[in-house]
Amino acid sequence: MHFIEVEHLNKSFTVRKKREKGHFLREKTVIHALQDVSFSIDKGELVGYIGPNGAGKSTSVKILSGILTPDSGCANVGGFTPWKDRKNHVQHIGVVFGQRMQLWWDVPILDSYQLLRDIYKVERNAFEKRLEELADALDLTSLLHTPLRLMSLGQRMRAELCGSLLHSPKLLFLDEPTIGLDAVSKLKLREFLQKENKEKGTTILLTTHDMEDIAALCSRVMVLGHGKKLYDGHLPELLARYDTQRTINVRYDADPDFSALPDSCSLQKDGDNYIITYAPETIPTAEMLALLQKAGSMQEMTAQSQNIDHLIARMYKEMDL
Amino acid sequence: MRKYLSTFLMRWKMEIQYRGAALGGIVCQMVFGLILIALYRALYLGSPQAMPLSSICTYVWLQQAFFRMLLSSDNDLMDKIRTGGIAYELCRPVNLYGYYYARIGAMKLMGSLLRAVPMLLFASLLPAGWGIAAPASLPALLCALMGLGLGLLCMCALENITMGISMRTIDFRGFQALLNLLMTTFSGNILPLTLFPESWQQVVQLLPYAQLLDAPIRLYTGETPLSAAGSTFLIQLIWLGIFLAIGIHLWQKNTRKMIVQGG
Repeated sequence: MHFIEVEHLNKSFTVRKKREKGHFLREKTVIHALQDVSFSIDKGELVGYIGPNGAGKSTSVKILSGILTPDSGCANVGGFTPWKDRKNHVQHIGVVFGQRMQLWWDVPILDSYQLLRDIYKVERNAFEKRLEELADALDLTSLLHTPLRLMSLGQRMRAELCGSLLHSPKLLFLDEPTIGLDAVSKLKLREFLQKENKEKGTTILLTTHDMEDIAALCSRVMVLGHGKKLYDGHLPELLARYDTQRTINVRYDADPDFSALPDSCSLQKDGDNYIITYAPETIPTAEMLALLQKAGSMQEMTAQSQNIDHLIARMYKEMDL
Repeated sequence: MRKYLSTFLMRWKMEIQYRGAALGGIVCQMVFGLILIALYRALYLGSPQAMPLSSICTYVWLQQAFFRMLLSSDNDLMDKIRTGGIAYELCRPVNLYGYYYARIGAMKLMGSLLRAVPMLLFASLLPAGWGIAAPASLPALLCALMGLGLGLLCMCALENITMGISMRTIDFRGFQALLNLLMTTFSGNILPLTLFPESWQQVVQLLPYAQLLDAPIRLYTGETPLSAAGSTFLIQLIWLGIFLAIGIHLWQKNTRKMIVQGG
């Protein structure tokens, strides 16, 4: 029995659009946000959930957190069907929607936290301890008495995250939690999530467009596109499929002679730099280097692997998303 | 129960964040009260009405003091519905109807108490014929308070229905405007219900809008004798029951059918 089991989930929305001509009539279009999505997640897993905008990621998170009712299919999260047993289900989960606000805008965040404490029936001592721990990890100690409206975007994001973790949820849904965070906060947040996952065994489902987040945190990724699940497995394996090209930057003392280079590699000139892109499958790296050395007297050389964002962009393109 | 109480207190904390606005509201309501009373004094000079002027003054001051209870104005909640922020509320282990009820109740009660206390003090210092008169008797005052409490419960339930409807219409302003118009007219805020034609009063007094302030004020001034207090409470309870039933049903249906789009 897995912790989360999802089977054949379907959800569609009706979107009404204004017609190009006229002002009164509308066109109806049905958008299939999820089509026959099935997966399972075990306790203590940290799973990345990726896909282009509008792929259905948020929709699935909303269904799993009991906000939306799917058209068909079933799900079991920790023994509950989220949309049928909402109140019992949500007691044990934490949700962060990076785009929305849960804390009260006008009052100090500590007051919001105390309200959450009562809502989730967290015992006072446990709450104090947990808040101290969270405030420390998320750098919030000096902000507890500041109203949310006076905070910067990054501070607000951290405050929101703290609010979702106060009741020590067994399962955490993070929908773009690193929006608006600076580098330091981002690293800190990742470190914190890793700790939560390792020490507390919190199961985490992370949705984000920041591939660095995924690479740093998740061993397993699920790719969603047009409402369908396209990949479920390890991130390195997924990347290896699309990581078929290497790039080398070289600079020569004098104009080099590239006539010996095979046609399969591409050559670009950027000032004094030459950028050579090739596929190690057709021409092995050792051979490539030998050819480049023959071309002239080399001044400097750097090799680059493909940026993860480029790989994902290529994957989306090839999957026709 | 504790969670709903905490929600209630939280809304109150939010209310006192903006003390300047409350002060502005108080001054505005005081000036409004004075202008209305000046108007009625002019009217009485021309043609005296059945109700004594001092009762009218009391009526006007109590209406002004508890004005905040009348209007449906928790824009915070409405915004949550419009922008989808309500998604977060659905992730809470609370009954949404109860949660919203607590918030609406806090806004109405705390918001108006904050204003009512200084206003009633001010009104009691005014000379007779301008200010507020003492209640008919101590039991009358207690009955009026009880009536005010029931009326408030009734109004919160009514507003929670508006909230439920705006979850379907998304934009709440039309419905809110309609409700506010009915409210200010039939609650006696624009013209005391006691000055409505006799035949109208028979009907208007039974409407839910009259239950919030008009019914308790009549108990306060003694226009409704103590012996009839029971039937006033009964009418209030009937409306409360009807509104609760409709509201809870509506929210249950909404929770199942709701769609929060984007992000």
